[in-house]
Amino acid sequence: MLTAIYFFTVGFIVLNAIIGMVTYVTLLERKFAARMQSRIGPYRVGPHGLLQPIADALKLMMKEDIVPRLADRPVYNLAPIVFLVPCMLIFATLPFAPGLGVADLNIGILFFLAVSAMEIVGLFMGGWGSNNKYALLSVMRAVNQIISYDLPFVFAAMVPVVLTGSLKLSDIAAAQPDVLHWFIFYPVIGQLAFIAYIVTTLAAENRVPFDILEAESELIAGFRVEYSGMKFALIQLGEYAHVIATSFLGALLFLGAWGGPGAAGHAPLGVLYFLLKAMFIFLLVTWIRWSFVRIRVDQILAISWKLLLPATLVLLMATAVVTAWKGPAVG
Amino acid sequence: MWVTLVNFVRKPVTVHYPEVKRVYPDRFRGVLALTYDKETGEENCIGCRLCEYICPPQVIKVEMLKAEKRNFAKVFTLELYACEFCELCVQVCPTDAIIMMKSFDLATSDRRELLLDKDRLHTIGLQFDPSWATGNGLRDMQTPPKAPPAEHAKAEGPAAKAEGKAE
Amino acid sequence: MDHESRQVLEMGYGGTERLIMNMGPQHPSSHGVFRAILELEGETVVAVDAVIGYLHRCHEKLAETLTYTQYPSIASKTDYVAAMTSELAYVRAAETIGKIDVPKRAQYLRVMAAELQRVASHCLWLGTWCLDMGGALGGGATVFLYCIREREDVLDLFESLTGARLLYGLHQVGGVRYDIPADWARKCRATVDKIDGRINEFEEMLESNAFFMARTQDVGVASRELAQEVGISGPLLRGSGVNYDIRRAEPYSSYEDFDFKVPVETAGDCFARYRVRMVEFRESIKIVRQALDGLPAGPISSRPGVKSVGQVRIPKGEAYARVEGARGEVGCYLIADGSAKPYRMKWRGASFSNLALLPHIIPGHKIADVVAIMGSVDPVFGEVDR
Repeated sequence: MLTAIYFFTVGFIVLNAIIGMVTYVTLLERKFAARMQSRIGPYRVGPHGLLQPIADALKLMMKEDIVPRLADRPVYNLAPIVFLVPCMLIFATLPFAPGLGVADLNIGILFFLAVSAMEIVGLFMGGWGSNNKYALLSVMRAVNQIISYDLPFVFAAMVPVVLTGSLKLSDIAAAQPDVLHWFIFYPVIGQLAFIAYIVTTLAAENRVPFDILEAESELIAGFRVEYSGMKFALIQLGEYAHVIATSFLGALLFLGAWGGPGAAGHAPLGVLYFLLKAMFIFLLVTWIRWSFVRIRVDQILAISWKLLLPATLVLLMATAVVTAWKGPAVG
Repeated sequence: MWVTLVNFVRKPVTVHYPEVKRVYPDRFRGVLALTYDKETGEENCIGCRLCEYICPPQVIKVEMLKAEKRNFAKVFTLELYACEFCELCVQVCPTDAIIMMKSFDLATSDRRELLLDKDRLHTIGLQFDPSWATGNGLRDMQTPPKAPPAEHAKAEGPAAKAEGKAE
Repeated sequence: MDHESRQVLEMGYGGTERLIMNMGPQHPSSHGVFRAILELEGETVVAVDAVIGYLHRCHEKLAETLTYTQYPSIASKTDYVAAMTSELAYVRAAETIGKIDVPKRAQYLRVMAAELQRVASHCLWLGTWCLDMGGALGGGATVFLYCIREREDVLDLFESLTGARLLYGLHQVGGVRYDIPADWARKCRATVDKIDGRINEFEEMLESNAFFMARTQDVGVASRELAQEVGISGPLLRGSGVNYDIRRAEPYSSYEDFDFKVPVETAGDCFARYRVRMVEFRESIKIVRQALDGLPAGPISSRPGVKSVGQVRIPKGEAYARVEGARGEVGCYLIADGSAKPYRMKWRGASFSNLALLPHIIPGHKIADVVAIMGSVDPVFGEVDR
């Protein structure tokens, strides 16, 4: 009973923290992107735009909830929830500091990768339930894309797992005790795996240059085109939560999670470092997003199946060989 | 990709309107206004209706009032919501009565407030900065010179006059 | 929906359904109001039916009711992105019928205005094309904002010259209406030098980007024969290997005094058209510099400034005047009957004829290519629908 209350409270706190962070990450992205485009981002709402995400959230909550007349109502209404829940659930497995996490599962990373792939169901429900040709077309492409890129994503994420020898996320973090041992600095394999991770992350969460799901200039807003108000807010929340979750995972797998000067003794400092590293990966992803044009869906699939999948497979096998020869990184 | 990074460190080009307004050039075509004569203080408009005839979307309506020495405009309405800001009315005015201002700040919430009558036009004329263009100024700039006696006067005259007018 | 001009490629599918999708008049990437009814098999476009007319504003009838002094300001509104080329076509037609001379200074000013207009229009083209291809939230928006930033500088120049930023009314029958102010030549040179440097940045950003190259090469190939048959003009024609530029073929307004290169590419795909326009950027800047250096003194019009609405009367006659606009050949066919108003005026819109290429080059490509191709064709619907 007490453990149930404990877990409920911790989960509640983490969920709220995530939602708060997601809203402010949208502001960070907008200001970062604006600077790259010779302008300033949101500026008027609150000092330097700091209240902008709150204004956006309030606006979305107050909007009318429109359901198209010919839409498939149960599917249409449930889609945002089915999309959001896996994106939130994956935060449960992330340890934010040694011993601080909702559920540090033994199969942590497997849970993460499997559950994050479940959002495809939510996407497809949204596209189908909207009764809109644009939405249907976009989710057809998106399902194609996400499925194709999940495999290289898993393989790229497996490289640190093989190097560590354990699926538990806190073990992977513990295997990178100081800067020199961060997996990104592992000769050749680390860098290649990091690059593959970034590319497949972009694709798995529909960010430009792989954002055919929402292809704003071709299909308006893809599967989100018929959603308004709170359901739209849930979809946005889910998208950005997924981006942040994969940023955190990337920071954990490659950049040493909570490691950093002085973090060993003080847990909050470790959490801060973790946050900073995740934001670094997020900004890297954002920088790529705002610099490239989109590529066509058949070119996206060609990149995945003809380039990334063989490359990451070879990389994983190479990692396995290296680990068998040198032994796993965790003692 | 480095291009975006280079632009990241460049200064943004945003102008924080309305606290900071950019400098409008001399010839800016803003809202229209009627003017008073500088020396006598009388209205410049003689109600000749030339602006009404030339206006392409026909937004100006004038009624002349005949008086002893000169004529006036009894009614002068200008529908600013349909105005094209083409400056043709300014171009044809013989007395430089109608001019354009260096401001466009006349946003209202009711379209009827943009149906400017004569008083409003005169008020606008006193409220904002006038732009350079007046009827006589424009016509002087455009009209080719009459053949002057000397060769060198012809080459220098119009260009110098045109540049001088622009100061 | 049956058109002889539509090519329907047999895809070899058995019994699949074709989806008819409307890329409607309201669409983020239809460059205005354009309705393309696409017939899709899966992702591949099988047929395109273009529906236009959503922006029809009766320009040709309007020209019959407005005089030669009033209409040039309105003529800007056909091709509102490169407004002065339309005005130029109209006044040149009137001047040809009336055998009115245009002073040399006015001709040089017209050339400068036209070339600066071409720079501004190509800035907008590049920005909106990348916006279509890259998404409004993504790299496309970045290139768009850079291009708009450069275009703003050119528009500031026009603002100091005429007072207006987008629709100018610079031309009148006999010359131009505005002479350059005192400081303008220096500002113009500074702006043009800056844009020259920035174009290098754009080229660098786009051409070193494998994604951009993959999206534009071998997409929307228009062969030389097709280009000549369909009747397109401008950068589209020169991108398909036909070396035809009205500024060289029938020089007007002192273009023969200037030294510039006409870019021609043979590939015929979107990338070739992009290269043609990027070179045109630089050549236009070259022409502007030459015009500034060689600007003769003199009057800016051979006719007095407009004092009354019926001042300009063109004797009976007809003429077709064409100019090389940013999009192609903009032509104005004028029939004058001796009064102050034309009897008939017909616009040949460059984009109207260019759109005829779409049903020939789009089928066989994916939906994503439709926007890339439309962007490289660069239609402006003011010209199409008039």
